[in-house]
Amino acid sequence: MSGVSVLKFSFILMTLLVFASQFYVSVTSAQVGESEASSALTSAEGAVGSAYQAVLKAEEAGANVSGLLLVQLNDAGELLAKAKVAYRLEDFDEVVFSASLCSEISENVKNEADELHVETYGSKITVFWLTSTGSLVGVVAVGFGSFWGWRFFKKRYYERVLEMKPEVSSDES
Amino acid sequence: MNLEEYRTVFAAGSLVAMLIVAVPTLGLIVPFPSGMERFSEFWVLDPNHMAEDYPFNVRVNESYSVFVGVGNHLGSSSYYSVYVKFRNQTQPLPNATASEPSPLPPLYEFRALVVDGGTWEAPLTFSVLNPFSRNDDSAFVGRLSINDLVFSVNASAKWDSEYSGFYYQIFLELWLYDTASQSFRFHNRFVGIWLNVTSS
Repeated sequence: MSGVSVLKFSFILMTLLVFASQFYVSVTSAQVGESEASSALTSAEGAVGSAYQAVLKAEEAGANVSGLLLVQLNDAGELLAKAKVAYRLEDFDEVVFSASLCSEISENVKNEADELHVETYGSKITVFWLTSTGSLVGVVAVGFGSFWGWRFFKKRYYERVLEMKPEVSSDES
Repeated sequence: MNLEEYRTVFAAGSLVAMLIVAVPTLGLIVPFPSGMERFSEFWVLDPNHMAEDYPFNVRVNESYSVFVGVGNHLGSSSYYSVYVKFRNQTQPLPNATASEPSPLPPLYEFRALVVDGGTWEAPLTFSVLNPFSRNDDSAFVGRLSINDLVFSVNASAKWDSEYSGFYYQIFLELWLYDTASQSFRFHNRFVGIWLNVTSS
């Protein structure tokens, strides 16, 4: 009889342990879900911020960003808003999905914006050097032109003065 | 004119010519102010894109729509966040004087990147959901659906005897991304629509 009761006790203990372990696992996985969601959200927020700054930098350099870049970044922004709302509603699967997609799009936008910035900045520098060289050459040419022009004018002026003959007017009265 | 006067005219003419030749380079170096006022527009329009027929008398479980819009005139592309909040008559609105947002938590939010001179618009569909209860002097709204997502609001409203109704407000705050602090800051603009929750 005592053997049966030990068996019964062991069975009850094992059943309790199985239940307890399931509860523990579900609580742990829920916590991991929330922390994963939170970290995905933070990383997506940072990715969109960096992409926006890269787009802004490209725009400041003179690139046209109103096309594909801004459309893509808007998509990323929408996904981020969706993820943030899902986080408030504790839908962590949705948070991780939307935030990851958002990070991916933002990374692409950042890379494209950086490339565009380098291209635009390069051509801007070329234009700057060409313009400033042109201006410098122009200023020097105007300077020399003025100098030689003045010398020529002065010479002609003296010649004209020297060619002038004094006239004596007779007083007939 | 004597030679001295000719020389002055010559020097002035040369300087003007040099300045004209240098203008393209000066234009690249010296920033010229545009003289335009920098600001953001923020609006809510009725379902017909007008400012006339806003949802006002609201029934529980019925769906209503408005349009939210932002116009950017800040001189460069801007990154905006629009927070949708819900309050009764006693809960605080943003403080425009102190440039502080409402302390109420946002329910829904939009993100928008708007090019300089451009606009952004999105629909906002909402409905008051059960549990809703009311008696002679108070009403209670338990949940609110915004763009097909359901939020707990648990907001009570007292009977407004002056305007005869139980008044709630859906209001929207405009926030702008600040590149220096790398975070959103309240842009001191908000709009809202009053709702009189009439029946269940």
